[in-house]
Amino acid sequence: MRVGIVVFPGSNCDRDMYHVLADVFGLEVTYCWHEHNLPDDLDGIVLPGGFSYGDRLRAGAIAARSPVIADVKKMAQRSVPILGVCNGFQILVEAGLLPGALLKNDSLSFMCGWTELIVNSSRTPFTSKFSKGQRVPIPVANSEGRYYADADTLKEMERNDQIVFRYGDHVNGSSDKIAGVCNVEGNVVGMMPHPERAAEPEINPAGTGTTSLIFESLCGVAS
Amino acid sequence: MPAFVVSVTIENKPGISDPEGETILNDLVLRGSSEEISRIRTAKMLKFTIIEADKESAGDRVEKICNDLRIFNPLVSSVSIGVSEQAGSN
Amino acid sequence: MRCCKLSLEPGELENLKSRIGRMPTRTEMHIVAAEWSEHCSYKSSKMHLKKLPMKGPLVISEKGYDSGVLDAGNGYVITAHIESHNHPSAVEPYGGAATGVGGVIRDILSAGTRPIAILDGLRFGDISTDMHSRWLFKSAVSGIADYGNCLGIPTVGGEVEFDECYQNYALVDVAAVGFGKRADLVRNHAQKGDLVVLLGGMTGRDGIGGSQFASDSLESENRSAVQIPDPFIEKLIIEAVIEARRQNLIHAMKDLGGGGLSCAISETADALEIGMDVDVKMVHTREQDMNPEEIMTSESQERMLIITGQPELELLQNICKKFRISCSVIGHVTADRQMRIRRGQEILADIPAGVVANASLLDLPSKRPQYLDEMDKRVPEQINNYTEILERLLTSPNIASRAWVYNQYDHEVGIRTVVRPGLDASVLRLDNGRYLALTIDANPKHCHVNPRQGAAGCFEEACRNIVCVGARPAGMLDHLQFGSPENPEIFWTFLESLEGLAEYAKILEIPCIGGKVSLYNETPAGPIKPTPMIAILGLADKLFVAQKTSEGDSLIVLGDTKNEMGGSEYYEYIHKITGGTCPAVDSATSKKNMNAVLDIIDGGLVKSVHDCSKGGLAVAISELCMTSGIGCSTNLDDTPGDAPLDAMLFSESHSRYLLVVEPKNKDAIISLLKERRVFFGDAGRFGGKKMRIECKGSMIDLSVDKAQKGWSSSLGRLVHG
Repeated sequence: MRVGIVVFPGSNCDRDMYHVLADVFGLEVTYCWHEHNLPDDLDGIVLPGGFSYGDRLRAGAIAARSPVIADVKKMAQRSVPILGVCNGFQILVEAGLLPGALLKNDSLSFMCGWTELIVNSSRTPFTSKFSKGQRVPIPVANSEGRYYADADTLKEMERNDQIVFRYGDHVNGSSDKIAGVCNVEGNVVGMMPHPERAAEPEINPAGTGTTSLIFESLCGVAS
Repeated sequence: MPAFVVSVTIENKPGISDPEGETILNDLVLRGSSEEISRIRTAKMLKFTIIEADKESAGDRVEKICNDLRIFNPLVSSVSIGVSEQAGSN
Repeated sequence: MRCCKLSLEPGELENLKSRIGRMPTRTEMHIVAAEWSEHCSYKSSKMHLKKLPMKGPLVISEKGYDSGVLDAGNGYVITAHIESHNHPSAVEPYGGAATGVGGVIRDILSAGTRPIAILDGLRFGDISTDMHSRWLFKSAVSGIADYGNCLGIPTVGGEVEFDECYQNYALVDVAAVGFGKRADLVRNHAQKGDLVVLLGGMTGRDGIGGSQFASDSLESENRSAVQIPDPFIEKLIIEAVIEARRQNLIHAMKDLGGGGLSCAISETADALEIGMDVDVKMVHTREQDMNPEEIMTSESQERMLIITGQPELELLQNICKKFRISCSVIGHVTADRQMRIRRGQEILADIPAGVVANASLLDLPSKRPQYLDEMDKRVPEQINNYTEILERLLTSPNIASRAWVYNQYDHEVGIRTVVRPGLDASVLRLDNGRYLALTIDANPKHCHVNPRQGAAGCFEEACRNIVCVGARPAGMLDHLQFGSPENPEIFWTFLESLEGLAEYAKILEIPCIGGKVSLYNETPAGPIKPTPMIAILGLADKLFVAQKTSEGDSLIVLGDTKNEMGGSEYYEYIHKITGGTCPAVDSATSKKNMNAVLDIIDGGLVKSVHDCSKGGLAVAISELCMTSGIGCSTNLDDTPGDAPLDAMLFSESHSRYLLVVEPKNKDAIISLLKERRVFFGDAGRFGGKKMRIECKGSMIDLSVDKAQKGWSSSLGRLVHG
């Protein structure tokens, strides 16, 4: 399975994601610079976290106008699994691939810490190995991570099974405690928490391996 | 007494750089086809609604508040103040 | 404008004239004034800094490095450096603190290593009473968070303290650590014909005269030296430089910090024994009309000086194009060791680099300060019940939980962080399977009462923190912050602190791998207290992860509690007493206790280890209870020490550790401690929901939940008013 990590100026979780996909899960991984075309043969795409363009204007707003986004959109139509984590989620939302918006946390500051994630949908390529309602420990680290969508959009997302993850607690004021969503088809997933920071027992203070099911689900897509 | 809306625009002083404006210019605007744009400066605007005798004293009062409460850091930023008579606005 | 005010002392001008045999040009005077400032030249402190041991089996010395280098084993190295940005942070805390992070990161980068961790040490006035201090604190934390988070470098540790001596002022110290392969270190070298390249952000008027500004006290209202942080450019510089290093395009490299181009060019030329010929017209400037002196002394942030060869230039330019950063060839290397600055054909300066880079050192007079004899001699009365006092201490700004600060820092990015902030030290995993422990510490209250013992004590405390996470101290960074050295009494406190550090470093065999001196830290109300800041790097082969304390675990206290209350939180916060006897370090005991704890950890005998410091035993025991959400019933009558009741509870004596032990391992630990002749006491057990600390017939009795609530929310409450 070949996975591309899209790198923008200011991405800073690209190397962490590479380590987890390549060294922990043994996938073939390639970095894709935002000004280049995506290779045609990718089986999955990850937009990693970071501060593309320094989060200027709005987090993800400038990166969403990068040349590579046209290719990401094409791949999305071809049902290739696409995961946006943190800033990657913000970029997917700004690019119009996912509904809603990400606003400043209600604490008005950056927040870094571990929280609990509840899996709400197991129909996506990144959640197929979870059962609905399963709770997993995961870290968050962002300042513009408060998910917002208006009431009508939320209703429709609910109807389409587009709400993938919720927080176990009110962590930042997100609508409906939403932590991650997907497109109608389910192949494009965005999430604010960082699964790559919880995929190894050594760095996971909760000592559980359940969070790595996000990547195991992706690995399962190929087989 | 009438209500006024005093808008306080806070931006970096002319000689002080504005990395956010530069990024929006270079990495977004100039990458489109808007070559006629030569500069973008970001600013933060606060709108105060205030009840005062007249326009002038409304502006003065808000300016004093901004100075007293260090709403901007005079070392880095400059402010420009505009006043409009506009009841019912937010 | 400040940039036009020359800070060369009359004597220095004479000195310069005699060393170059003529009257210097205007440009030369500006260059030399920037480089001979205290901030760049260390002229007051340099001859004394030799007292610190700089060598050790793990220390790797290379010429022209701004950071220290330690051998991490298996072909890997750790680089480390510490810097402060005090004056800029005192006037513009957000930008000052942020650019402080940027500067020290570039020092790590200039060795060719990738920065992997940041630690910050902060000092402000009393935030419980002073709004301005609150603003400084809040803004500095945001500045560090926004900058470090954007770079994707985790801020894994730090400390903060509040004291009236910093009113209207701020100390913002940042330490940074890098990691890489030894073979990838930039071996600074250059030869005639090599190109001098300036890479990164534009050179502007911001920050002109900053190093001179840092060397003046804050009284003058001329505060033009503000710098605007741009972490996005810094991030691009990091990636570009690491890529250029990977392709072997860098012959030598230096960060532009204090003194700007003047300092970077003269110091690089001097260290590499070369000359440089630089044209100011080639420098990419933000404003059109900058004069050569402004260009040479601008301290605009996010710039690097790189020496590369003609054949490598195009590749370097391609990398810069990819990352959209400017890259200008501003000159070339010569063989004559001259620093030649020109504007086109016009030569503006032509002066030996060795003269610029080496100010005449001063041997300033010192005198024992009178204040030491005039300190408060009051002794507080012993009372029956210290429960309420413990409660107050736990919510004191200097003891309360730091979570409000470190939760704003991304401390996980890089996925190396295995022990997170909030414990004694943080631990990162390294690519060679080993672990790196990091901590930073200062204790100005102790240092004020006794500069020598205070400095040695904060060094020891930092080492204890490292030991608590199972690592052995491998190297030390020091940052010596004092008032004006021209005051002999202040200079005496500087010398005493340095002696204290040097003595302890020698006995414990911990080399100083880098450091910095910041003088003239004066507020309108006078000099700051002596504030030597110590960062320790420790290495471990095995990861020791503390386990949660549970019902029935025992508490063993190691080390002697003495009646050493000077500079303690109990004296200063509760009783407003500045005086008394400050805790003293006994190096032999320190070493003995440290080794015993490390062996106990190695033997897998202990669940967790906690250092006993600020607030004494009562606070240290409470911290163990609060972090595990469990009570205790303890009795200090059998713990070593014959101090009065209040001192048993709150004295901040050194070399003490708290061990949380499962009952089955208790005997093994006790026999090890007896064999090593380490003083220890069995202090009781954990369990229940109440923290009970009995001593000399008095009893502290406090609900864990209640204590935990106050301790964990106090700092946030103080900041938000």
